[in-house]
Amino acid sequence: MIARPPRLADWLLALRVPAEWRDYVVGDLHEEFAARSAVAPGQARRWFWRQTLRCLLTPLPSPELRSRTPDARPARDSFARTILADLRAGVRGVVRAPGFSLGVILVLALGIGANTAIFSIVNAVLLRPLPYDEPDRLVRLFHVPPQATFPGLPTFPVSPANFYDWQRASTRFAGMTIYRFRQFTRTDGGDPEAIVAGAVGAGFFEMVHTSPALGRAFRADEDLPGRGRVVIVSDRFWKNKLGGSTDVLSRTLTLDGELYSIVGVLPARFSIDSWGLAARDLLVPLAYTDAERAGRDNHNAQVIARLHPDATVAEARAELDVISARLEREYPQDNAGWGATVIPLQELIVGDIRRSLVMLLASVALVLLIACANVANLLLARGLARRKELAIRLAMGAGRGRVFQQLVVEALMLSTVGGLFGLLLALVSLTAGTTLLASQVPRADEISIDMRVLLFVMGASWLTGLLAGTLPALRAGTGDLQGALKEGGRSDAALALGTRRLLIAGEVALSVVLLTGAGVMVRSLVALRQVDAGFDPRNVLTMRVTLPASRYATAPQRTAFFDTALERLRALPGVQAAGAVEDLPMTGGSVQPMVVDGRTELLPRDQPTVQVRKITPGYLTAMGIPLLRGRDVSQNDTDVLLVSRAAAALLWGNVDPVGRRATLPLQSRNRTLHVIGLIGDVREEGLAQNPVPAVYEYSRERDWNSMCFALRTAVPPTSLAKPARDVIRSVDSAQPVEDLRTMENVIDVTLRSERFSAVVLALFASVALMLAAVGIYSVLSHIVRGRSREIGIRTALGARTSDVLRLVCYESMLPTVAGIGAGALAALAFGALLKRLTFGVSPSDPVTLATVAATLVAVAVTASLLPGYRAAKVDPLKVLRTN
Amino acid sequence: MWFKARSSALGDFEQLVLLGVLRLEDGAYGAAIRQEIHKRSGRDVSINAVYTTLDRLERKGLLRSWIGEPTAIRGGRRRKFYGLRPAGVTALRQSYHAVRSMAEGLEHRLAPK
Repeated sequence: MIARPPRLADWLLALRVPAEWRDYVVGDLHEEFAARSAVAPGQARRWFWRQTLRCLLTPLPSPELRSRTPDARPARDSFARTILADLRAGVRGVVRAPGFSLGVILVLALGIGANTAIFSIVNAVLLRPLPYDEPDRLVRLFHVPPQATFPGLPTFPVSPANFYDWQRASTRFAGMTIYRFRQFTRTDGGDPEAIVAGAVGAGFFEMVHTSPALGRAFRADEDLPGRGRVVIVSDRFWKNKLGGSTDVLSRTLTLDGELYSIVGVLPARFSIDSWGLAARDLLVPLAYTDAERAGRDNHNAQVIARLHPDATVAEARAELDVISARLEREYPQDNAGWGATVIPLQELIVGDIRRSLVMLLASVALVLLIACANVANLLLARGLARRKELAIRLAMGAGRGRVFQQLVVEALMLSTVGGLFGLLLALVSLTAGTTLLASQVPRADEISIDMRVLLFVMGASWLTGLLAGTLPALRAGTGDLQGALKEGGRSDAALALGTRRLLIAGEVALSVVLLTGAGVMVRSLVALRQVDAGFDPRNVLTMRVTLPASRYATAPQRTAFFDTALERLRALPGVQAAGAVEDLPMTGGSVQPMVVDGRTELLPRDQPTVQVRKITPGYLTAMGIPLLRGRDVSQNDTDVLLVSRAAAALLWGNVDPVGRRATLPLQSRNRTLHVIGLIGDVREEGLAQNPVPAVYEYSRERDWNSMCFALRTAVPPTSLAKPARDVIRSVDSAQPVEDLRTMENVIDVTLRSERFSAVVLALFASVALMLAAVGIYSVLSHIVRGRSREIGIRTALGARTSDVLRLVCYESMLPTVAGIGAGALAALAFGALLKRLTFGVSPSDPVTLATVAATLVAVAVTASLLPGYRAAKVDPLKVLRTN
Repeated sequence: MWFKARSSALGDFEQLVLLGVLRLEDGAYGAAIRQEIHKRSGRDVSINAVYTTLDRLERKGLLRSWIGEPTAIRGGRRRKFYGLRPAGVTALRQSYHAVRSMAEGLEHRLAPK
């Protein structure tokens, strides 16, 4: 029986000893072990372990070693092997200069991180297809309103009768469906809750290629008036409000006091926040009555369609044009001037944001370029510091290509690590900014780091590494080898100065572009906030109340509710005035043709239109809208009208409108409204839009179901939020209140995208400024070190600290001024991108440019102070002696 | 280093290994040489070191090698035997004589205590 050596030791040996030696080495050990264990087994085992450990530590002749026998010519190293060697050298370099490496990695992480974050947004919003089947074939259909009456309005909701005509006549669509939004009050789940549901026409689910994840779609017979008491809920609603149980299909919801059976649950991926319909929690059948179907003058429905597989958007548009032209001829009274258009769903969702995102992507690319210049500068400095090492390599016979390769590999390694940190930074900032993004960007819920983003990070990192590494690598491998090797040869600092100055100038130029962009955006935001909206938004609390038809069936009931509520709201302590309006300024609203008494009604195409708002007494006072002539509406008025200055000019020209009469034919041709007052213009469509003609109507006999209250308060408006809600509850405990917020908040919401662009751009600009400052500082430190002998002599000859400082600042001015000049030119070109995004400021605003230039000069001077001060404090004797 | 590699001078351990091969004649393989060195010089060296040196000497042209049959006691593994080439004998002779002539007359001072 042969004794077995320790298994673990044996296994370790097998790992350590290469196959070609295993037989001899392991065999010898086994043999000796057998001999020894015959005498003393315990000792033999210890001996074997000792031998194993020694084998693990001592090398064996390796094939590589053998290839380097003296007589054989050294084989040319393979590319892969040299890269590996470069990587090893790179790691050593990184570890040996931790400060330098950390600096480079941080700068790159900042640049790549910012780019990755913005790219993730662009990816989710612009690049990733919508989560529907063949999303590029999904389109929305709209009316194009007559431009004479609706100037600048590109699209308009669709009238049902026209939709059914389009549906019958078109051939370029695989299907089209009509839908609209319906407000319900849900009363079966605790507090009454206002829910906006999507009411969808027959064939909707077939058309979008979606079927409920649970249950079924609507049946055709449910799309009839009185039969549509069924509801399909969103995945979110099912999980959050209904507990996510599968018995949901046997349950009902109480909506507007009626029981709706839940027949289905939508799949989670159907829900996207950025398509109004898909963001809804409830879908119900449209169930139009015959009268509603025949309505041609009421433009209040939405249309979604799927293109025929062979059809293009252009073909579909052309066909719709032909049909619209025919309908115009057949129904001139309602359709004259009304065209139609087709817009891809994706374009509709991302259309407005695209310009901002492209602008941000361009800006963030500039940040990366600045980071590149900075890193190139750092690498250059390091390359120069390593001149001696590189010169020795070259002298020993390393090819220039080989040295170049090593430097580039090192740069790539650093940029890869920087990219990884950048990815981390992007993840953190996107997570931190989730709420901000959700309010700014469509499809924000879909932003994530996917394969495309990872590829982007990789590409950006390597491109950055190549960009930043090539120039220093080219520069470092050239020049006077002997000089570099000589002790006390020309100082490093004097080398490659031109290149480094150029990099600084580039950084400054890019910073100018970014700072100018940010400056213009901020100024534009400020300009917007200073615009006179036509009312006073301070100290105004607003809320919307929508009465469900089920509990408020008649007009007197509804009128009584609003009258009582207003009366009690006015009685609240701290409330100075209270009124109500159909739609608050800047939140949309009705646009209608208006006929001045005594003139004939024209075709809708030619009839002037005005913004029409229903108001109550007290609204003008609550909002602070000035009354210019005549009087405000009062409680007992019937069919009275206030007209804005712009409306008066449009309808009556220079004549005093007070005392005139007019009709709103869309509401009633028989009801004559009396103009009793002229009021100031209000920016109903937003701060950036000029005031449009608007009229405000009131009548004692009226029929409203949804109104916004506006309360002017003597105390901070938010402190009255709860009392105001309680007042509504006191009138009707089952009545929900929506959109309880201050008027300033209403305006703020309209400025979101401007603020988003300004904030992000300002962030980028400050990063750019910081990087530029670091760049200037590092180059100047270098230059100053190189000129310390000269400065020492100057100091010895009597130069004061201020003289030295001036000298150093002067040194930094040359590249800075050159950079500002180039940057200003680039900023003017970049300004074209900003043109559509700014308000009240030119993208090439001279004030902004001058401020930016001054800022950069100040930064350059500040960055020069420390090196300059250091140089001035140097003991001249010491410098002269060491050099 | 090229100048060292061209030199025919043998290192101290190389001399021990070559002497081991000479002494063991046809039975010179790793373990036997290791034991011989241990027994006579008191140096307990690792088997790796022995083979590394054997390999280097073979590549210098001082040794030749051949492979033996697998045996059970080695777990079915083979031995690798080494023998001196004429160049190896010459090198060993030179370094031995160099040591001998350098030590002449000093024997009493070099005797083990």
